[in-house]
This record gives sequence, C-alpha cells and structure tokens, in this order.
Amino acid sequence: MNNAVEVVNLTRRFGDFTAVDNISLTVAKGEIFGFLGANGAGKTTAIRMLCGLLMPTSGNGRVAGCDIIKESERIKSRIGYMSQKFSLYGDLTGRENMDFYGAAYGMSRKEVKQRRDELAARLHLEDILDRQPVSLPIGWRQRLALAVSLLHRPEIIFLDEPTGGVDPVFRRKFWSILYDLAEEGVTVFVTTHYMDEAEYCGRISIMHCGKIVELGKPFDLIAKYKAPNLETMFIDLIDSRGGECAKD
Amino acid sequence: MRKIKFIAVKEFYHILRDPKSLAIAIAMPIIMTLLYGYAINLDIKNINIAIVDYDKTIESTELIDAFYASPYFSRPENPVSLSDPQAAMRSDDVTAVLYIRPGFAEKLRNGQTYELGMTVDGSDNNLGAAVMNYSKALVNTFILEHLPVGVEVPQVRLAIQNLYNPDLESSHFFVPGLVAIILMMISALLTSITIAREKETGTMEQLLTAPVTPWQILTGKIIPYIGLALLDAVLVLVAARLLFNVPFVGSQILLLGFALIYVATALSLGVLVSAMVKTQQVAMMLAMMLTMLPAVMLSGFIFAVKNMPVVLQLLSNVIPAKFFVTIIRGIALKGAGLDVLAMQGLYLIILMTVLMLIAGKKFTRRIA
Amino acid sequence: MSRALIGVVKKEFIQILRDRNMIRIIFLMPVIQLLLFGYVVNIDVKNLSLDVYDFDRTHESRELVRSVGASGYFTPNDTIMALQHLEDNFKRSSSDMAIVIPPGFAHDLMNRENPSVSLITDGSNANQTAIGIGYMGRLMQIFISAYYGVSIPLDLRFDVLYNPEAESVYFMVPGIVATLLTMVTVMLTSMAIVRERELGTLEQLMVTPIKGRELLLGKLIPFAILGFLETIIALTFGVLWFQVPFVGSSVLLFALAGLYLVTPLGIGLFFSNVTSTQQQAMFFAWFFSVFAILTSGFFTPISNMPTWMQYLTYLNPMRYFIEITRAIMMKGAGLQDLVFQVVMLAIYGVAVFGLSAMRFSKRVS
Repeated sequence: MNNAVEVVNLTRRFGDFTAVDNISLTVAKGEIFGFLGANGAGKTTAIRMLCGLLMPTSGNGRVAGCDIIKESERIKSRIGYMSQKFSLYGDLTGRENMDFYGAAYGMSRKEVKQRRDELAARLHLEDILDRQPVSLPIGWRQRLALAVSLLHRPEIIFLDEPTGGVDPVFRRKFWSILYDLAEEGVTVFVTTHYMDEAEYCGRISIMHCGKIVELGKPFDLIAKYKAPNLETMFIDLIDSRGGECAKD
Repeated sequence: MRKIKFIAVKEFYHILRDPKSLAIAIAMPIIMTLLYGYAINLDIKNINIAIVDYDKTIESTELIDAFYASPYFSRPENPVSLSDPQAAMRSDDVTAVLYIRPGFAEKLRNGQTYELGMTVDGSDNNLGAAVMNYSKALVNTFILEHLPVGVEVPQVRLAIQNLYNPDLESSHFFVPGLVAIILMMISALLTSITIAREKETGTMEQLLTAPVTPWQILTGKIIPYIGLALLDAVLVLVAARLLFNVPFVGSQILLLGFALIYVATALSLGVLVSAMVKTQQVAMMLAMMLTMLPAVMLSGFIFAVKNMPVVLQLLSNVIPAKFFVTIIRGIALKGAGLDVLAMQGLYLIILMTVLMLIAGKKFTRRIA
Repeated sequence: MSRALIGVVKKEFIQILRDRNMIRIIFLMPVIQLLLFGYVVNIDVKNLSLDVYDFDRTHESRELVRSVGASGYFTPNDTIMALQHLEDNFKRSSSDMAIVIPPGFAHDLMNRENPSVSLITDGSNANQTAIGIGYMGRLMQIFISAYYGVSIPLDLRFDVLYNPEAESVYFMVPGIVATLLTMVTVMLTSMAIVRERELGTLEQLMVTPIKGRELLLGKLIPFAILGFLETIIALTFGVLWFQVPFVGSSVLLFALAGLYLVTPLGIGLFFSNVTSTQQQAMFFAWFFSVFAILTSGFFTPISNMPTWMQYLTYLNPMRYFIEITRAIMMKGAGLQDLVFQVVMLAIYGVAVFGLSAMRFSKRVS
C-alpha cells in the first residue's frame, strides 16, 4: 500500500444535516497534503472520520493501511493528531504531558524518555518542558502539542489548523519542521486558513459545504483558474459556489 | 431605567433558554417540598418491638394487644430468636424487646408491685427515648385500667390544647421553613453563579465597554431573580397547602414585605460572593458554604438552635434565614402580626443594610 | 497492569493534587461536615421553653414547676403577662409551651382530689410537641406519686444497649461518614471526567490507542483510593474528637465501605455521561446527595416516612451503608447480621457501575 490515506465516497450525516458529502481522495506516503475549506465546510468532521474518532454514515477508506470502519482502533497507534483547540493538559507540565501520552501509546518508560529528549532537542523545547502549557505563549504550546503527536513515531499526522493565532516567525519555523518530517517519510495532512501555507503543500483539496470542489497541486490550480494567487483563487471559487456554509 | 430593563430582559432570556437552570429554578422547589414534607418526619410511630411472654395469661395477652394496638408500636416482621434476642436489634429488625416474666397477672390482680423489663436499642437516642416514653405511658394507662377494686392512684388531670397544628403534622413545621431556604438558594446561589459566569466568560468586560454603569448592570441582572425567587416561594406555599394542608393564617402582604427584605439580604450575599471569586465553580462552592449551609443548619429550619453549643447559638444571630424562618412560621401557621414580629423584622433590616453596604462596596471596587 | 492504565492513574493524581478545589473538598469537607453535623444536628427534645402561669402561687404549685424544670426537658419562665398574651410568645417562637396552674391546685391536692393543670402547646413543631406532652404527662405522674408517697405498682425497667449515654452525636457520626463518602466520591468522580470533556482533552485521549476500560479504570481508581482515604479521615476524626465508641470490627467496616464505594463511583460516572460542564456535574452531584441523605435514614428513621416512601428507600444504596456503619460501630454487628444489606449493595454496585461503564463510550460526541 503506497497510499497513506485512501477514502471513497465518504459521507457523514447528523440528522438532516450532511456535514461531509461523498468525498473521495488519496494521499501518498510522505506527502504534505493541505485540506482547505471555508469555515463550516466540514473539514473537522472529515478529519475526525479519518482518525477513527467518528464513524462515517456511508463510504469507506483506509488510513495507514487500516480500514477506517473495521479497524479504527488500529489506526490510532499509527497516526498522530493535533486538534484545533489546544487539548493537552493545562495543569500538567510539558514533560508530564509527554510521559502520559507516551504511556497511553503503550511506550515503555525508556522509549518515552529517549523520544522525549529527541523531540525536545529537535523542536527546541528543552526550556519549556517543565512549565505548564497555560503559562506559555501560543506558539510554544502548539510546538509542544506537535511533539506529543509525534511521540510514537506515527506514519501520518493530522493537523487541524495548527498555526491559528501564531506569529509569522513561529509559523515559518513550524512549517520547516513539517518539511523535515515529510522528508523522513511522515505523511502530513494539514488544515489551514493561511494561503501562503497552502502554497507549501504538495497538493491541496478545497471543501465547500461538505463536498470536495477542487483538488490538485497549488500552482496547477492557480493556472487553471487564471488567478493571480491562491488566495484570490480560493475566494473566487467559494464565492462562485454561494459563499460559506452555515455549520461546522 | 430603559437600560436596566434591557439588561433584565436579556437575563430573562438567559434563564429561559438554559433548560437546565430553568429546571433547577422551577422543578427543584417542588421536589424539595415533596422531599422535606414526606421524608423528614420526626413523628415516631410504627416502632418494631418484640414482646416475649413467659406469663401467658389473659392479662399478659391484653398487655401485648395494647402495645400493638397503639400507633407507636408494631410487630416485628420476623419472629425474634429467644436464645439471642439481641441479634434482631443488631440487624435493625426491632428497636426493643419487652419481657413479661411469669407471675405478671397474679401480681396485677393482687395490686402488688411488679417489674417489667425492656431492652432498648439506644443507638438512635431519640428513638430510644421515644420508645421508653411511650412504653411507660402505655404501661401506666394499662395498670390504671386494671387496678383491683378499691385501689386508687391519684393523678393530675392534664388538659392539653395544641394550637396551630391540632393534628400535629410534621410537614407543617418544615415546609414553611423551606421557603427561607429556597429564597436563599435562588437569590444568593444563582445570582452569584450568574455574575461569576459573566466575569469568567469575559462578557462582563464586554458589557462594561457599553455606556452602562456597573450599578445598572447589577440591578438589571438581579431583577429576574427576584421575580423567580418570589414565584418559587408562592409555588412552595401552594404546594404545601395542596399536598400537606399547611395553612396560611396570617397576612400575605406582611409576609411579602418581609420576604422582600429577606430577598434583598440574600441578593447582597450573592453579590458579595461573586465579587470575591473568579470562576463559577468557586462561586458555587463558596455560595453553598456561606449561604445555603448556614441557612439549612443554623436557622432553626430543622435543628433546634437552643440545643446547640453556645458559640453556634450566638452565630445563628447573624444568619438572615433564622429570622425569616421565625417570621414565616409565625405568619403562616400562627397568624402573627407586625406587633409580635417587630424585633425579628428589625434584626432582618439591620442585616440587610449591613450586607448591602458591604456587597455594594466590594462590587464597585472589583469593577473599578 | 498496562502502561496506559498506570499512566492515567498517575496523571489523575497529579491533577487532583494540583487542583486546589479538589484538595479543599477532600481534606476540609470531612472536618467541617463532622464538626458541623456533630454539633448542630440533633433532634433531641429538651430545654423546651415553658411559660408558667401560676395562679395558685402556693408552695405546692411552685414545687410542681421546680420539679418540671429539674427534669432538663423544660426550662420554665415565670411570666408576668396576662393570659391574653399567651400566644404572643408562641407567635414569635420564643416559647414552646405554656402551663397554667389554676387557683385551688394545692387545695385539691391536699383533699385527695385529682388536681387539674392546663398545658397549651405551640403545635407547629409537631415532633417537639408530641414528645413534650409525653414528658409532661410523665412528670405530672412522678410529681403526684412523690407527693402522696404512692407509686404505681407496675413498673417498667429499661436496659439500654449500645448508646447508654444517649449521645446524639454517636448516632450521627456513622451517618456523617456514609454521607461524606458518598458526596465526595460522586462529586469528584463526575467532575473529573466532565472536565476532560469540557476542556477538550478528551478528544486528544480518544485519538490514542488507549482502551476504553483502561481510561475508565484509570480515572476511577484514584477516586476509589481517595474515597477510602476520606473514610479513614472521617472515622478517625469523628471517633477521636467526639469520642464515639467503636464496638465492632473496623476491618469489616472498611471491607464493606469498599463494596459500597462501587456505587457512588458508578453514579459519578453516570452524571459525567449526562452533563457537559463541571458546574452542572457538581450541581447534579449535590442534588443527588441531598436526596439520598434525606431518604437514607440519616436524620429521621425510615419507619417514620409514609409507606410508599419507605418502599422507595429500598432503592437508596446509602440507606444500606448507613445501617451497616451504625450496626458495626455501635452494636458490634457481624457479617451474618448484615446479609441483606450486603447483598443489596452488591447488586446495586454491579448494576449501577455496569450500566454507567457501558455508556462511557470511547467515541467523541
């Protein structure tokens, strides 16, 4: 299986409301895939299904080689996840958070220590490991969350708007880390509202009201729509389809 | 004025739209009335006692029948083992065991002295005392009816008149006091949580950037709760009347007047608590401890203040609920008027003034 | 014991110890509750305030009043008010009963005619009135028997077991311990789980391969331990401070406390399933506790409640635990005396815990 993610006709309904409407896509191993869309387009719901957090109403797929319906638990040990809202424990230090999640991923104490030191060095987290996240600025918090999601050497990481509210310097550093990861073979599936970040991605998809309305390499899409840049292309595309959707 | 009205209306929407707080505000008083009315019943009756009869005569059987015919005593569900009668007490099947030794009837007929023995489970001392009292009374009545001819025992003829609650219903005592608790709960607990919530979520800050003064915000927020509190008080009194026949003999207007003073006091407490905390959680805990707990424990609602250690008796004099409990019992059950309740009213007003001043100062300082 | 389970337990403990609210609940609450309940809660009928209207004003009438006061059940107040104002003191609840001794009391006494005395009571406090009347009747009987030197030939002698000092607090402490254990466990358990949901950390947990039961157990074990700790603190403090006798086996008590604990844990779990904020959880927990406490036989004997309510109390697990605690502490009861309660607790524990645990699903939403 060379594809990290493969979904076909994935749909999720909540009562009358269809959050994700028949989407299909594949993501190759080691790709940096940008998952774009306006607010309320259904991105978070889609990611949740890919992570095994939510069952699809119909459709199927494979993530990290595992069936998302039948083997959802298996997927969890192979993927990492960073949610939109900071969701590590505010009252535990960085070190304690990592120790805990290491244990949750079934890693031995030695493994956790080794990996923790490794990641701390790589992401320059040494100084903040013993502080509680509540006392850290948002950029550092996100880096810590990234480190936690990488503890168990996942094949794929799903990042839901990891750089929301972060300053440009940090954002640049964050993305250089993501590039390094991709080079090492980790697949990066990332959501973002920043169009400059979207241009860093290998391929992007754009969701609108639950459907994928466009998919391809950023520059190909700019050319296709004859837009001056990705941002304009995005805005025009969404506008032409009726604007934002009401619910997320 | 208009501004206050708008804030009050907004607060109303908050309350109405949160079904859980609505449930709390309306269902809870009713549930509490039911609970306190039915559950807390200190009338002691149907006490399980076992009677072991070694005499087995007509007279001893009459004594046994007299015991079980009384509303105070009942037969145990399982027969008591003669070799270990106390086992029944350990497993709570009986509260006492009465022993009638041989020779009972004979001594009775001859007017000779005779001693009955009763072993009593004293762990619940109130129950034990009641058992002993009622047994003694029953035995006395029995012997007076069975005195041999010519023997007389002098008695005091005690004429008894029970005022206000001739059927001696337990619920009449507790349910009016419940109004004091509920008013406190809504006026103090809920308001402190609401204000704390606005602080915590930052909407207070947002409000303050508008051309409204902190006092207008406060007043506007409080008004719906006053209405709710009074509504609940009426609900409880009506429920009390319908379910338990609790009378309302005195003047509703007078009660309303006192209730408003009491509510004002409780509101001040709520505001005070909210000014001291940062989060809703702490607001709730603190409010519980400073308002509800004293109101339930030290106001005379259930437990007699005069039986408490002196320190607590003194402390009870700064608890607003204490005065209001006396007031509402006086008005509802006994038809007390302003002349009799003047002192309580005065104390309540003093407490209200003091608390309003303190709360006002704290609130303004916090906002500024 | 899997690594994940240990990890969760460790994390929970760290969080609990760092949360000042929880610390307060765990350590302060028992002490405060014990003190408060121990000193405040009592339903003994004594020191009834008795207004005395003595229109006889003889040696005998004064002797009657004195003997009534000496009993400790009544505190006589000599009143100078006219009879019309008798009710005023009732209306402001400053006295509980009034005794009216008519002129001619001593005269009747001396002529061997049964004298009359009137007792007027504030019936609003029903319990107090009923018992007070009983006491007064007894005291009258004692008085007149002593006066004539005649006694009723049939006497009733009492042998009081288990609480010979008749201390209210001895009866209260076991109840308080049971109450405390229940409240703290339900409250803390429900809050801890809801907090994760509220803050969003639950989602991050769900993404890990951690199994549902590891998470569940990991979260509950610390509270089970804390519950035990609470019991020990409360019992030790209660027994030492109030000098409550402890007759039975403490081992048995702790073992049964452990059995009981499963139920409040399950209930806390249930509340965490149905609430979305910590505040709601706390409220539910508090409300449930009040309900459970009032219908458990803590304050008032279950036999006093209306029959339909008595049947309902069979559904209250606290009822069984209070019976167990009292029986062991005050009467030295053994396991064989408590079979019914133990079986009920076991059924309860399994049912409540089992159902709640099943609902605790690993999926978000």
